Amino acid sequence: MDPILEAMREDVLDGDQESVEDNVQAALAADIPAGTILTEGLIAAMREVGELFEEGEYFVPEMLIAARAMKGGLQLLKPHLVAADVQPAGRIIAGTVQGDLHDIGKNLVCMMLEGAGFEIIDLGTDVPPEKFVEAAQHEQADIIAMSALLTTTMPNMKHVISALETAELRQSVKVIVGGAPVTQTFAESIGADGYAPDASRATALAQSLLGLA
Amino acid sequence: MNLIDRVIAHPGRMVVPLMGFPGTQLTHSTIWQNEFNARMQFETIAALVDRFKPDAAFFMMDLAVEAGAIGLPVVFPQNESPTVKHHPVHTIADLDQFRAIDVLYDGRVRTYISVMEQMAAALDIIKGAYVIGPFTLAGLMMGATELAIATIERRDLVHAAATLATEVIIPYGQALVAAGADTVCILEPTATFISPHAFDEFSGHYVRQIFEALDTIGILHICGDTQHLIEPMCATGAQGLSLDAPLDFPAAIAQMPEDVVLIGNLDPVRVMTNGSPAEVRAATHKLLEDMAPYPNFILSTGCDLPPETPLDNIAAFMEAGRAT
Ligand code: B12
Repeated sequence: MDPILEAMREDVLDGDQESVEDNVQAALAADIPAGTILTEGLIAAMREVGELFEEGEYFVPEMLIAARAMKGGLQLLKPHLVAADVQPAGRIIAGTVQGDLHDIGKNLVCMMLEGAGFEIIDLGTDVPPEKFVEAAQHEQADIIAMSALLTTTMPNMKHVISALETAELRQSVKVIVGGAPVTQTFAESIGADGYAPDASRATALAQSLLGLA
Repeated sequence: MNLIDRVIAHPGRMVVPLMGFPGTQLTHSTIWQNEFNARMQFETIAALVDRFKPDAAFFMMDLAVEAGAIGLPVVFPQNESPTVKHHPVHTIADLDQFRAIDVLYDGRVRTYISVMEQMAAALDIIKGAYVIGPFTLAGLMMGATELAIATIERRDLVHAAATLATEVIIPYGQALVAAGADTVCILEPTATFISPHAFDEFSGHYVRQIFEALDTIGILHICGDTQHLIEPMCATGAQGLSLDAPLDFPAAIAQMPEDVVLIGNLDPVRVMTNGSPAEVRAATHKLLEDMAPYPNFILSTGCDLPPETPLDNIAAFMEAGRAT
């Protein structure tokens, strides 16, 4: 691998945002194509971060700063990706459902998705169904990703799906759900398109739903 | 007496479900009423004790008491736990707004102290109080994601917030002990997702200070998957660890010193709330069987039971627990 991309990978693993940004500049100056910098530098590094998390080497804070470093690099790369006509893998609206303030898991999922090349519109926590619908209308998203950590707020996922149906948007967007109490069975029972138990599998899920994997 | 000595002296297993909210079904009250009215909450706890005869009773789990007392914005839904929605602390200077506050003058702090006084006067089992953990209170000040990142990048800010939290928790804990608490359990859920090393630095260190300042039996409760934290949790001086359903209990207790008591861990939602009494009984028997070789164990739930937990399930849990 190109030594600049190799260094970039290390920077992401260390969560060193400045250094990631410097190396993105260096890679661009060395005429490495933007698409290559994205997939072989940034995305590859985030995949490794996900593995380290699963293995118990990395914990939530390490993962958050790695993801932020990656995001810094991505920001710089974006205009070049657009110029080279490299499309984002897809647009995803994300949020924690109404009544629920747990956001660590949702944030990790967002960051891993971003690390895999998706564009994320993060609506935050305690998001009412209308907000999801409104965002779906305006953002032309491919996927809506909902998180719930409380059994009492899980039914609100179903409410979002119903609201999407009422607004006649359900056909145009995939819905994925997750969070500690959510299961595959529950996801199926509310008519969601997919469930994943953790952030790296959330990425694989989004890719497979959009036919990318 | 130490917790381990009490547990060993106890005839049969101690059985202590973590319940407070389900008692609202007995007193036909809302969670909100119990959070503001000490008499109401005492009656709810007393009704649970009367009905289920556990070996210890805690007052209601409420992670927003200390947060509200120092002036964080708390929201109170009618029938759910109160929570902090906005997190105003971003710098060490932001902490100054809290320093002048004496939490013992706060109305809800006084409510919980009064609940404990009434429990002490009326109940002849072990009486337990809860306080929030220093890292978790820091998380309510700063927001959990910002706190997580700060454990790597702004360690001084995390230490300043946890130090302030500790200064708030100690006098409240002391007042609860003076009111008659036999044990104080520190609730530290936000520490589940940090490394063992970070736990020791940002939570364990302060938890130890709190236990040292309280003349009582110290218990540490962390929900979620805490397999990686068992060793540093034991190093806090906790006499008991109250741990959650994701944990493999026989594997967990094997890592603990014999004089620290492991408390748990029936799944509060999947089994206790959504299961049938027969499923509760089966899960309780299985846990008791797995833990049979270990004297340092109290049969309990992994976390606080939700308000809608069927009372028949709590009865099934108690019955299965007593049958040994
Ligand atoms: C930290 C924590 C808190 C913090 C939250 C801080 C924050 N800003 O997020 C604080 C202290 C504020 C808190 C408050 C409360 N909490 Co809390 N909390 C936890 C705890 C310990 C860890 C959650 C966490 O962050 N885990 C780490 C992350 C990385 O994991 P995760 O969220 O599961 O996310 C992963 C996957 O689920 C998945 N995922 C997540 N979202 C999505 C979305 C999609 C689309 C996909 C595909 C995947 C996916 O990927 C993620 C990364 O791998 C859990 C325990 C547990 N067992 O989970 C309790 C827990 C969730 N809390 C609980 C409760 C009851 C509460 C309170 C009501 C407490 C109270 N009594 O006062 C309040 C409610 C606040 C509210 N209205 O939301 C209960 C919920 C019980 C239930 N099932 O109903 C739990 C399970 C504890 C327990 N055992 O009882 N809590």
